[in-house]
Amino acid sequence: MHMNSLSKAGILTLIFVLTFVVGWELYWRSQHLALSYNDDESLWAHTRKEIYQTSPSRPVLIGSSRVKFDLDLEAWQRVTGEKPVQLALVGTSPRPLLNDLANDPNFKGTVIIDVTEGLFFTPDGSFPEREATKRVEFYPKWSLSQQLSFHINHLLEDHLYFLDEERLSLQPLLTDLPVPPRPDTWGGPKFPKEFVVNRFDRQSTMTDAMVADTSIQNKVKAMWLEIGGHSPKQGVDGPLLTAILNSVKQSVDQIRARGGKVIFVRMPSDGPFHEAEKMGYPREKYWDRLLAHTQTAGIHFEDYPVLSKYQCPEWSHLAPKDAITFTEDIIPILQQKTGWFINRNGAKTPATTASLSNHQ
Amino acid sequence: MVFNSYSFALFFVLLLVLHNLPLPWKVKKINLLLASYLFYSLWNPPFILLLWLSTVVDFYAARLIAREQRPMPRKLLLTISLVLNLGMLSYFKYGGFLLENFTLLLSSVGIAFQATKPDIILPVGISFYTFVTLSYTLDVYRRKTEPEPSFLNFALFVTYFPHLVAGPIVRPEDLIPQFKEPHRATTQQMTWGLFLLSLGLFMKVVVADTLLASSADTVFGVPFPVQPLDAWMGVMAFSGQIFCDFAGYSTCAIGISLCLGFILPDNFRYPYAAIGFSDFWRRWHITLSTWLRDYLYIPLGGNRKGNVRTYINLMITMLLGGLWHGASWNFVIWGGLHGIFLCAERLIREWTGRRQRSFAGKNQADPGLTGSMAQASMVPVSLNGKLGNFGLALLTLLLVDITWVFFRAPDFGSAMKILLCMFGVIPNGPAMLTSLDILKVSSVTVVLISCHWLMRDSSLVQLGKRMPWWLLSLVWTAMLILLILTQKTSNSFIYFQF
Repeated sequence: MHMNSLSKAGILTLIFVLTFVVGWELYWRSQHLALSYNDDESLWAHTRKEIYQTSPSRPVLIGSSRVKFDLDLEAWQRVTGEKPVQLALVGTSPRPLLNDLANDPNFKGTVIIDVTEGLFFTPDGSFPEREATKRVEFYPKWSLSQQLSFHINHLLEDHLYFLDEERLSLQPLLTDLPVPPRPDTWGGPKFPKEFVVNRFDRQSTMTDAMVADTSIQNKVKAMWLEIGGHSPKQGVDGPLLTAILNSVKQSVDQIRARGGKVIFVRMPSDGPFHEAEKMGYPREKYWDRLLAHTQTAGIHFEDYPVLSKYQCPEWSHLAPKDAITFTEDIIPILQQKTGWFINRNGAKTPATTASLSNHQ
Repeated sequence: MVFNSYSFALFFVLLLVLHNLPLPWKVKKINLLLASYLFYSLWNPPFILLLWLSTVVDFYAARLIAREQRPMPRKLLLTISLVLNLGMLSYFKYGGFLLENFTLLLSSVGIAFQATKPDIILPVGISFYTFVTLSYTLDVYRRKTEPEPSFLNFALFVTYFPHLVAGPIVRPEDLIPQFKEPHRATTQQMTWGLFLLSLGLFMKVVVADTLLASSADTVFGVPFPVQPLDAWMGVMAFSGQIFCDFAGYSTCAIGISLCLGFILPDNFRYPYAAIGFSDFWRRWHITLSTWLRDYLYIPLGGNRKGNVRTYINLMITMLLGGLWHGASWNFVIWGGLHGIFLCAERLIREWTGRRQRSFAGKNQADPGLTGSMAQASMVPVSLNGKLGNFGLALLTLLLVDITWVFFRAPDFGSAMKILLCMFGVIPNGPAMLTSLDILKVSSVTVVLISCHWLMRDSSLVQLGKRMPWWLLSLVWTAMLILLILTQKTSNSFIYFQF
């Protein structure tokens, strides 16, 4: 090939690719999708670096998706003046993360643990446990090169909607292809693109379209039913459950021994999802036993009218507006329940203790 | 730093600018060397000390070897270099493996010995740069090459970042002469280099990581048997994944180097169109197979010491080649299987050769035999025709895929489980892969085999010359668009662990 031909091919390629990028970006902007950051291992590792300056006013949050949706970090910051460190991971068990914090001798802060029973009480080696373990194992291997890439990616993600690996990359686009399913196999849930966006602080929030459109909410509900169909109907029991409780207690004790603080929180769920959770994971057998075994305080949304008044649009997570008030409501309960000093300099009118139930 | 990362993109752009500034050649080489150290140290900075140690010892050992005329001191100097290089490799790569097997050996004779598992991190690319420095010292020892007088040239030869962590495994004659004269890419080299970089990234990021990796991970990751179809799909997925991952890396390395004006040797030549295993090893990881040939097989005697020794030498070479890939018996088995296939192929070739010779002798006496022998060899198809060759290539690929099971499986038991599933001995496992997974794996496999078959006697450069420029542009655009769509960055290349 002549030099001229190669150069012409290169220039034409550049024009084609730039045209595609501009068109692709404009297309997704026209779809009214909000900008979303990749909630990947680098963003988690970046956030994990922040755990050493935590306090009851700036706790570390671990758990599953509910605490990512339901606890609004900016609302918390407005109340306490500080933003929590959001380490929760969607669809995973927080136990590997708790274990990681417990084994870090420099961590002496406060941990709020979101308990979604179907994920929390999963045995070692199960998918929710493995996925969380992967993040924990990634953190010490996060190389300087990956850190540099992460910061460059952040600059790009700030401006480009289509840089959204979870929703708009090749893999999810291929998954949307109308390929007939193979009998007896399941490729995992396909949530609508409008369900969730992630902020750089790892806050997850529903999009406006999701909040407004019940047909999108119904698609998410259908996904929960599908996931339920592929999940164990009953939670772990017997020695396996005892082993899980023992490992949690050990981690909690390790954190406390260094002066750290721990509390469990059960976030709201409703509808058939909540009914299935109650059947599969009866409160007295799992939640109550967890608190008793670890001798740790816990806040269950059902015990507080101010927390149980909310409805989840898709049975499992709060809408963004509700997440703000939920956060404002839970802070005084946390303080009252634990006696921790939570700075509330920027607080709006705090909920009075009279509005709080005295349940465990 | 991996090629498929934003950090590398930034690094490469800055380096290209620096390399094209009107600076003295020595300054440019220093820039390249410092950039290479930066490239390496962004993984794990302390391991750069090992690289320095290897560079300094081999540079001075080779000089002393060249200066020394007496055989014994020459051997001693070579031994020092070998012990240092292979010692570092053994400690970092095989320390845990050796200890584990030592413990097993003791327990098998009734001695209870429990050693603490050593917490050794494998320095990235140690297997590759060890072979690079070894080839230099050995070549100087054999007086095949003169020691390089410039430490800068030698250090750059060892550390040059495109080949540093995963090859191609360069020889002194490949690179050192290029560092002696000022090099800057021409427009054509720059454009072709960028095309190769795009192609390599496409192979790695789109094909290996996005289309194939998850199917291979699923099948090889489950602790229970799967359906035969799933087992085959998993193995085919890995077969495509490892090729696109590794050949993708080599293509990137060659492209990046070309953008800087330096030519690296080819490392892959459409191996999935190989007809037989000796052909396969002329096409797969060429710089490793030629290294093993020149520095292991031939010094062992090669085929010069009779038939039995030839087979033994072949097996030793392939077993050690397998072990080079990783500290696990599965890699040894993988190498062993390749050795057995190479030996079998050699046996068949010798047997066929003998038959043909004796047939030719008889034929002179009885010309009527020609037709019947030709007929006998045409069952089921003529192996001399294109279709027959294609059939043999598919058979070779099938056998290669069987060896990949041992390469990918985490242990021997898992490998056997997959093989038993593949051949229907365990037929009742659950289906694991979705229709989309099967569609992706089978499409990529068909495209891959077709490309390899169509290109087996050609090259990318020749293809590029034949293509109209606008068609090349369309292909290039499609690859880049898919790359941008994939958005996956920073996944390590499989061969980094070796």
